[in-house]
Amino acid sequence: MATQVKLPRLGQGMDEGKVLQWLKGEGDTIEKGDELYEVETEKVNVEVEAPAGGTVLKVLVQAGETVAIGTTLAWIGEAGEDVPAGGEDGDSSAAGSGSSAELRSSATGSTSESKPAAPAAAPAAKATPAAAAAPATRSSGGASASGRVKASPLARRMAEEQGVDLSSVQGSGPDGRVVARDLEGAVQAAASATAAPAAAAAQPVAAGPGVERIELTSMRKTIARRLGEAWTAPSFILNRTVDMTAANALRKNMLKSVAEGEVRPTVSDILTKAAAVALRRHREMNAHWNEDSILQFEAAHVGLAVATDAGLVVPVIRDAHAKTVREIAADRKVLVDKARNGKLQPMDFEGGTFSISNLGMMGIDSFTAVLNPPQAGILAVGATVDTPVVVDRRVEIRPIMTISLTCDHRTVDGAVGARFLQTLVQHLEDPTSML
Amino acid sequence: MAQMTYREAVKTAMAEELRRDSRVLFMGEDIADMGGSQGVSKGMLAEFGPGRIRNTPISEEGIVGAAVGAAMSGLRPIVEIMYMDFTSMAMDPIVGQAAKWRYMTGGQVTIPVTIRTQGGAGWQSGSQHASMLENWFTHVPGLKVVMPSQPDDARLLLKAAIRDENPVLFVEHRDCYPRKGEVGEDPEEVGELGKGRILREGSDCTIVCWGGMPWAALEAAEQLEADDGISLEIIDPRTLQPFDLGIVLESVRKTNRCVVAHEAVTFGGFGAEVAALVQEHAFDHLDAPVLRVGEKWAPVPFAPVLEAHVVPGKAEIIEAVRSVAYATA
Repeated sequence: MATQVKLPRLGQGMDEGKVLQWLKGEGDTIEKGDELYEVETEKVNVEVEAPAGGTVLKVLVQAGETVAIGTTLAWIGEAGEDVPAGGEDGDSSAAGSGSSAELRSSATGSTSESKPAAPAAAPAAKATPAAAAAPATRSSGGASASGRVKASPLARRMAEEQGVDLSSVQGSGPDGRVVARDLEGAVQAAASATAAPAAAAAQPVAAGPGVERIELTSMRKTIARRLGEAWTAPSFILNRTVDMTAANALRKNMLKSVAEGEVRPTVSDILTKAAAVALRRHREMNAHWNEDSILQFEAAHVGLAVATDAGLVVPVIRDAHAKTVREIAADRKVLVDKARNGKLQPMDFEGGTFSISNLGMMGIDSFTAVLNPPQAGILAVGATVDTPVVVDRRVEIRPIMTISLTCDHRTVDGAVGARFLQTLVQHLEDPTSML
Repeated sequence: MAQMTYREAVKTAMAEELRRDSRVLFMGEDIADMGGSQGVSKGMLAEFGPGRIRNTPISEEGIVGAAVGAAMSGLRPIVEIMYMDFTSMAMDPIVGQAAKWRYMTGGQVTIPVTIRTQGGAGWQSGSQHASMLENWFTHVPGLKVVMPSQPDDARLLLKAAIRDENPVLFVEHRDCYPRKGEVGEDPEEVGELGKGRILREGSDCTIVCWGGMPWAALEAAEQLEADDGISLEIIDPRTLQPFDLGIVLESVRKTNRCVVAHEAVTFGGFGAEVAALVQEHAFDHLDAPVLRVGEKWAPVPFAPVLEAHVVPGKAEIIEAVRSVAYATA
């Protein structure tokens, strides 16, 4: 006997859902548990699995239609089996199997108003004519039974360039050929999947099995907003390696004379000092983008990215150029403690002219940082690793640190960033040059 | 600039070159008093006289053979073959002689002959007066094949053909004769053989077409834009040999789709060559197979209904473009 596919309740407060697309068409053979269709609710897009195996006999609700929960969407049964035109005569227990269908939040899970949902919906709509044309021959993804993916040369090139697996893309061309427009959809979907964590942080997400809902703190909101802004800035990234032999030796020397109760200077403190001195020499880097102008600063107020349980904060070492490494270390200790205890005052994190983010202590070799607008630059600092390097035509083991400077291209050009980095590296490799 | 028909543009080009260079003369069947079967050379006899505007017997082999001999002895003849079908009777002087002499003599002898001919179906002229056979000649090294669709190109490229040191087959499609356009008036202005032209810019699909087909493509483009939102870019190569592959590839790399349309029979036509070149040089840019539009596999029928069925036009172009743009259900 044929089984009804009914729209299940996918979350608290859900009254209706919109069928975004059918992943299988009439005549297709399916297994119980195969993803059958995608539905959009107010909160999420979900791919719903088939409540039974067999042949899709009849699709009653087409893609794009919005119906109440419990509505019969389709019939599944044996090929050739007769089914009622509607859902009224069906086995009512099928509704139960529908509502207990295992849910899988799609990668595009988000509210229907938010951006990521749109690209997911678009390819579905585009694929509709092809689905209507050849539902029986359409295979899952672009792969045929033999496993070969039919795709246009352009689509293949795009997939390679974008790193998309062609077999995961639903082809809309003849016989399921993957063509460029399908891939545009896939790339967008992949992009929205990448963006999904950010979207999830910025917007409330429906609770469900295996999903914990975490209300946003105002700090999380601020991080999301400011880094979202930063992402729109045209930026470029410059990388350098630094031989830290001299800087390490300097720190060792300094540690010898650290008094009881005094903060022990770290390599980070030396780096803060070196950056501040280099910023004084390269004022173009010590700047803010001010939309209609650029503000260059005399004083180097260096922000330090600090991870806390509540999120990322960037307290500022004021006038770092004018402070000794010991003074910087003392300031840094106070600020980091305040940050970890949630005691930072606005004056502690406002007015930075440059930022440093250091993940070296967490074993990160190198990384790039997202700009901290309106600042012109942010330095990403990786771990210092003993590395064989060529010195005077001989291989030596040296402590090498990789740093990466992200610059706001609206404020500075590549050569400015490069010169700043050159000076910074010089200060670190030969700390006396800071004097 | 002057408004004139394609027919007038062809005549203007010949007249200008006859005035410019006393070595240029024009021969063909009924081209003098009658002005040719299509009335192209009407009035030329009065201006240039029977010594340079020469009626010939009905003997295509003789006409072209005489022209090749005249070219060898220093003249620059233009000949008219009344229908393209009749070139079959002049194959040896065209292919065996004109195309080969410059090469075989190491450049000591050139054959600057311009062979004008016309053709095209749709006039119930019967199977022997309606064939488009340009691919016979694009296949012959030593020949140039020019086939413009626009009046200004007809004038400039015919002048270039007459001044060229090589034998040039200049093919006029019958549909083009009454078409009007702005044509330049500077007698020293000459076109360049081997350069294509974008007749209409578009972003979704490239169509490469020549002869009478660009006119059908222009109409098809309007309908595709209105009905399907498909933006068609139309390229008229104007010269088939040498062929401007660059302009085609640049367009295909932009649109990612290509249709080739000619009136000649599809199978083995020059469209197959274009399709092969495009896939060879722009394979990774193609989002669909290159499709050809051409005549069905039949001699052109006389019966109007059958003729319309066999000969390609706007509808066939629209169908092909929709197909490569994946716009058909």
